[in-house]
Amino acid sequence: MNLDLIKGSRSKILAAAVLLIAGIFVVRLFYLQVIQHEHYVALAQEEQQDISTIPASRGLIYAKDGTAPVQLVMNQKVYTVVADPKVIKEAQKAQLIASLREIAGGNVRTGFEALLDQEGSRYAILATKLSRLQAEKLKEKEFYGVVYQATTQRVYPEGALAGQVLGFVNAAGQGNYGVEGYLNEELKGIDGSLKTVTDVSKVPLTIGEDNVRIPAQDGKNVVLSLDRNVQAKVEGALAAGLQRTGATYGSAVVMDPKTGKVMAMANLPTYNPAEYNKVEDAAIFNNGAISAPYEPGSVLKTYTLAAGIDKGVVKASDTYNNTDSIMIGDNYIVGNATKGQTGIITFQHALTWSLNTGFVTIAQRLGDGNSVNRTARDAMYDYFHDKFRLGEPTGIELSNESAGSVISPDEEQGNAVRYATMSFGQGLNTTVLQVAAGFSAIVNGGDYYKPTIIDGYMTNEGFKQNATPSPVQKGVISKSTSDQVVQATHEARASSFGRTDKPGYYIGGKTGTAQVGVPGGYSDTETIASYLGYGGGDQMEYVIMVELSGKDKVLGGAQDALPVFTDISNWMIDYLKIQPKG
Amino acid sequence: MSYQQNNTYTSRRQQNWSRNQNTTRFVSAVKLGPVAHTILIALMITVLGLIYLTQATRATSYDYASQKIQTEIADLNDQKADLEIENARLTALETIKNSSVAREMTAPASTEYVE
Repeated sequence: MNLDLIKGSRSKILAAAVLLIAGIFVVRLFYLQVIQHEHYVALAQEEQQDISTIPASRGLIYAKDGTAPVQLVMNQKVYTVVADPKVIKEAQKAQLIASLREIAGGNVRTGFEALLDQEGSRYAILATKLSRLQAEKLKEKEFYGVVYQATTQRVYPEGALAGQVLGFVNAAGQGNYGVEGYLNEELKGIDGSLKTVTDVSKVPLTIGEDNVRIPAQDGKNVVLSLDRNVQAKVEGALAAGLQRTGATYGSAVVMDPKTGKVMAMANLPTYNPAEYNKVEDAAIFNNGAISAPYEPGSVLKTYTLAAGIDKGVVKASDTYNNTDSIMIGDNYIVGNATKGQTGIITFQHALTWSLNTGFVTIAQRLGDGNSVNRTARDAMYDYFHDKFRLGEPTGIELSNESAGSVISPDEEQGNAVRYATMSFGQGLNTTVLQVAAGFSAIVNGGDYYKPTIIDGYMTNEGFKQNATPSPVQKGVISKSTSDQVVQATHEARASSFGRTDKPGYYIGGKTGTAQVGVPGGYSDTETIASYLGYGGGDQMEYVIMVELSGKDKVLGGAQDALPVFTDISNWMIDYLKIQPKG
Repeated sequence: MSYQQNNTYTSRRQQNWSRNQNTTRFVSAVKLGPVAHTILIALMITVLGLIYLTQATRATSYDYASQKIQTEIADLNDQKADLEIENARLTALETIKNSSVAREMTAPASTEYVE
C-alpha cells in the first residue's frame, strides 16, 4: 500500500505523530520486555509462585518393654482456634461461644467470650490444643471469620515416666534437657520445601518450569535402652523410699554392667514433660543422676578396696589394727562412724562395718604403708579418675551432664588429708551415674563400659539395634581383683542385710552415709544416704545405685537407701527371670 | 476442487521414478494468495494455542485431583497417628495397672524354675 500524502498536510503530520507514538511504544516495550525482563519475571514469579516449607516430622522416642520397643514420646497434630472479631457477625457469636464450650471444653481460653467483643482486634485465640475430631466438629459449623491452625505437639502416653531423661520440646520446636536436648539435631530432622506455581487458593500446580520440591527428612526415631517396666518400678520404689524416710530428693540408676546400657534412671521430684510450662522451679528439669555431683561417701570404699587389691597391697582377708581413729599428718584425725570394732580385724570386717580407718589404711599401703604419700595419691588418682573415670563426664547421651571433680595430686589441694578422706568417699564430687559406671567395671571382671541410653533406632524396616557395646577400656582391674571385690561386697551385704534378699541369688553392695560439705567443714545436721550394689545368678545382671537426701535431713545408707535397693533388686530378679546361682 | 491432467512427457533419466511407476503428476489449479496464507497460518496458530490450553487445563485439573488425594492421605495419616496415640495410651503401664484385670492379680507364693 503506497499512500501519497501531500507534504505538510495534516494527514502527513498525523502519520508522523502515529509513527512517533508507535516508536515510543516500541522503545518502551523494548525497555520493559528486554531490558527489564528479569525484573518483571521476578515480580510475576513472586505473584504466581509460592514457596512453602514441608515440615519434617520430629523423631519419636521409644523405650523397651522387655525386648520390644514401645512408644514413649509421640507426635500429635492439634489445632488452635483463631477468630477475627471484626468480621464475626453479632448473631453468630452466641452460637460460636456455645459450640466452643460444648466441643472444645477445657481447651478454650479463659475469658474467650470477651475476646470476641474486641472488634479492634483482628486476631483472637479462642481455644488451643484441640484434637482433630474436635476441630472437625467445629469446622462443620462453618463459622465465618474463624480459622483452625494446625500445629504438632509431643504427647507422652506414659505420662511423667522418665520425664527428666526425656526432656521436653519447647514452643519453638527445640529440644531441651534430656534426650530431646542432647539429640535435638537428630530428632528434629530437616525441613523440605516446595516452590511451585499456585492458584489463588494456594493449590500447587504443575505448570511452570521452575517448580522445585525438596522432600523433608524426618527426624530419627530413637530407641532408648530404658525398660519402661524397670523405669516404672524404680520410680515407684524411689517414691516409696522418699515417703518412708522423709527425704526430699532421690536418684536411682539401674544399668547392665556387661554393656553399660542404662535400664532405668529416675529422680524425684520430677515433672511431666507434657506440662513443662507449669513447672515453677526450673531446677526440676535437671536430671540429678547426671547433673548433681556430690560426695558419695562410703560406697566408694569398694573403689579403694579394688585399687588396693589390684595393686597387690591388700586382700580382703588381710588385717590391720583398728583403733577407731587414725592420724593423717600432724593434726587431722579420721574416726569411724561405728565404734567398738577395735583390735586386729580384717579389711572384710572393715568393709562390712564400713570402718573409715580400714580404708585410710589401704590408702596408706598404696604408698609407704605409713602415710598417704605422693605414691599412694598417684595410685588412687589413677584408679579413681583414670580407670573408673570419676570426675569426668561419662558421655551418656543426655544434656547437662556434670563432670564432678577429683582433685589431682599435682594440685595443692590434692594433699594427704584429701586423699585420706577420698578413700572413704569424701573430698571428691561425683554423679550417681559415674559411681554406678565405675562400679560396673569393678564387678563385671574389670572392663569399663561407657554408660549409654541409646539402644538403637526404629526405621521403616523395624527396630535396628546398635551393635553390642565394646568396653572403652578393658582390664581397668584384673579379673581376680573383680572377683575378690564381688565376694567381699557379697559378704558385707549377706552378713547384715542378706535376709532381705531372695534366697539363691548373688547379691552384694555397700552402704554410704555421706557428710555434706558446708563452708568451713561438714554439716552436722545433714547427711546423704546411698546404696551401691549388684545382683544376678551365675553372672552379673544389674548394678543399682540409690541416693536419698533432703535439706537438714540426717539419712543413713543402711536404714534409708538400702531398702530401696532391696525393693528394686528383688523385683529385678523376677522381672529378668534370673535363675538361682548354681 | 478439480485437477487437470498434465500430458507432458518426461524421460526417466530426468526424473526419479522407478520402473512401472505412474509417471503422470497432478498439479492443483487452486492458487492461494497472501491473505489466505495469513489466515491459514493464524488459524493454525489458534488451533495449536487451543490444543496447548486444553492440555494445560487438563494438567491443572490433574493437579487438583492430586491435591485432593494428598489431602486425603494427610487426613488418613492424622487419623492413623491419633489411633496409634490412643493405642499407646490404652497400653500404658498406668492404664494397665488400673485395669480391673490387673487389680485381680496376686503375687505368686513361690517361683520354681525348670532345669
